[in-house]
Amino acid sequence: MSSAPPPDAGSSVPAVEMHGISKRFGDVVAVDGVDLQIGDGEFFALLGPSGCGKTTTLRMIAGLDIPSEGRLAIFGEEVASWPPDRRPVNTVFQAYALFPHMTVAQNIAFGLQMRGIRGADADRQVAEATALVQLEGMEHRRPSQLSGGQQQRVALARALVNHPKVLLLDEPLGALDLKLRQEMQVELKALQREVGITFVFVTHDQEEALAMSDRVGVMSEGRLLQVGTPAEVYEHPANRFVADFIGRTNLLEGVTESSSAVRLDAGAVVAAANGLAAGSAAALSVRPEQVRLHRRGETPAGAPCLDGVITDATYLGHAFVYTVAIGPTAGASGTHASERAATITARSETGSAALAAGEPVSVSWSPEATTVVAD
Amino acid sequence: MSNLGTAGAKRSATHLLKANAWFVFAFLYVPIVVLVVFSFNDSERVNVWQGLSARWYGEALGNTQVISALRVSLIVAISSTIVSTVLGTAVALALDRYRFKGRRALDGTVYLPIVIPDITMAVMLLVFFAEAFKLIDTFGPRLTLGVTTVALSHIAFNISFVAVVVRARLDQFDRTLEEAARDLYATPWRTFRRVTLPLIAPGIAAGALLALTLSLDDVVISAFTAGPGATTLPVYVFSTIRQGVTPELNAISTLMLAASITLVVASLALQRPRSTTP
Repeated sequence: MSSAPPPDAGSSVPAVEMHGISKRFGDVVAVDGVDLQIGDGEFFALLGPSGCGKTTTLRMIAGLDIPSEGRLAIFGEEVASWPPDRRPVNTVFQAYALFPHMTVAQNIAFGLQMRGIRGADADRQVAEATALVQLEGMEHRRPSQLSGGQQQRVALARALVNHPKVLLLDEPLGALDLKLRQEMQVELKALQREVGITFVFVTHDQEEALAMSDRVGVMSEGRLLQVGTPAEVYEHPANRFVADFIGRTNLLEGVTESSSAVRLDAGAVVAAANGLAAGSAAALSVRPEQVRLHRRGETPAGAPCLDGVITDATYLGHAFVYTVAIGPTAGASGTHASERAATITARSETGSAALAAGEPVSVSWSPEATTVVAD
Repeated sequence: MSNLGTAGAKRSATHLLKANAWFVFAFLYVPIVVLVVFSFNDSERVNVWQGLSARWYGEALGNTQVISALRVSLIVAISSTIVSTVLGTAVALALDRYRFKGRRALDGTVYLPIVIPDITMAVMLLVFFAEAFKLIDTFGPRLTLGVTTVALSHIAFNISFVAVVVRARLDQFDRTLEEAARDLYATPWRTFRRVTLPLIAPGIAAGALLALTLSLDDVVISAFTAGPGATTLPVYVFSTIRQGVTPELNAISTLMLAASITLVVASLALQRPRSTTP
C-alpha cells in the first residue's frame, strides 16, 4: 500500500500515523504493536497508568526514542529513523526542561536560532509567543525566578514559537497544584483552538483526558486498548481495563447466557447485549450514576433488578454515594452454591430521599446504560 | 542532683571540645603565621626579629634563579592544566554517558593517580621516560628529561583530578535539557556547545584551577622528571633549603601560599551548587 497522499489531500492526511509500532528496552516491551491515526488539528490524549508506554509512544513521535519496529509518519512523511532535530514537532516536557542558564526570551528564541532565524524576525516571533502565553514583562527573568505555572507557559511558548506541525505534551499539568491545573486545562484547550495545531497530550489523569481532548487513546502494558471520543470511551469501554480505569464503575462478574443476557455471579440473569459467545466469562459495567435505588419491593417492571442491603451512605453535598451489598449474604431467599457476594456503588442527587445504612433495597438500571466487558 | 551533675559534665565536655578545636587551629595555622610574619623580617637571620620590611620580597624577585624557576613552573602549570582539563573533561563525559567496552576498567583505574603515593608515581614516570627514550633514540633523536617531561608527568596526575571534579558536576546535570535542545532543532554538537558545556562549565573551571594548584605545588614528581634547567619553583625551594632556611625562602613560600589559597578558594567557589535565586 502506498502511503503517498494525493496532491490535493491537504488536511485529510493524518498528522500522526503509526503502524505496528513497538519499542523494546532490552527484554522489556514498553510499547507493543500500536496502530494509531491522529487527525490534523486534533486534541488527542494518550491516557494510561504510569509505565503503560504512553510517554515512550510520545517520545517516539518526538524522535527521542527510535521504534524497534513499525512505521511512523508525520503528515505522510516517514520519520521513524529521523533524529529529533529534523522532525517538525516540538515537546513540552514533564518538568518543562527549561534551560536554567538562559532568560525566558533566550529560552523561547532557542528553536528559532537553531533554525537560523535571527535578528528582528526572531525578536518579533519571540514577542508574539510571549504574548500568546501572557508572559509579557518576564522576558529577562531566569526560569528559577518563575512560579511553576509561569515556567509551564515558557515551555509552551518555547515549543509553539516554532509553529510545529504537532505539539507533544508530556504530563504538562502534573507539576501544578489542583486549582492551577484546572485553570490551565481550560487555557490549553483555548490555546489549541487559537493556534490550530495538532496536540498530542500524555496524561494518567482520566478526568483531565476526558475534559480536554477530542479523542482519547487508552493504553495499558504497552498496548493501545481503545481509541474514541471521551463519550465513547466512557459509555462503551472496550474491555474490563478501560471500564475500570475511566471513571468509576461497578463491575459485576458473570457468564454470558446468550448474546443478550448475562448470568451474574451475584445471582440473577439480566438483559445485556454483548458480542460474546455464550458461556464466556464477562463483567457487566454499570456506572454509579446509572444505578437506581428503590425500597425493597417497589421495583419497576422490565428493568434488570437485584436485591441488596445498604452498607454505607456517604453525603457529598451535591450527591449521596451508597454502597450496596448484593448476592447471597444480602439475605435473599434461595441462594445458590455458585453465587458470590458483590457490592454496587450508587450515586444519587441530594434532592431524593436519603436512605440509611442497613436498609434493604433493590437496585436497577436501564439495560442501555450498561456495557458487557471481557478481559 | 543527678541532672545538675549531667549538666556539669556536659559543660566541661563543651569546654574540652572548644579547647581541642583551638588546639587544632593553632597546630595548623601557627606555623603559617610564623612563616608570613618572618617573611617581613628585616634581619639577615631567620630567627632574629629586627623590624618590619619587604626587602626579602625584593631580593627574591631580583634573584634570577628564582625568576627562571618561576618561569618553568608557570609554563608547566599552564600547559599541563590546559591539556589535562580537555582530556579529563572528555574522560568524565565518556564515563558518565557511554556504555563501552572497558568502561568499568577505566572507571576503576582513572582515579588511581589520586591514591598512588607521589614517590611511586615519580619513580614510575622516570622509569617510563627512560625506557621510552631508549626506544625512540634507536630511531635517531636524542631525547632528554626537561620541561616537556615535567609537563607530561603533571598531565598524567591532573587528568584524574579534573575527571573527578567534572564528573561530580555531571551527576547533577539533567539530561532532559539535552533532549529539549535536540527537540528544538539543535544538532548533537550544538546541544553540547549551547546547553551541556555552559552548564558544566563551573565544574570544568573548578577542575582546571585544582590542576593548576597541584601543578604549581608539586615537588616530588617534578624533581624526578625534570632534567637540568627544568627546575620548578618548589624544587628550587627544596634544594636551597638544604643550605639552611633564609628569609628569602620565607618570602617565596609566602607568595606560593597566597597563590595556592587564591586558586583553591576560587575552585571551591565554582564547585558550589548553583543557587536557586541568583
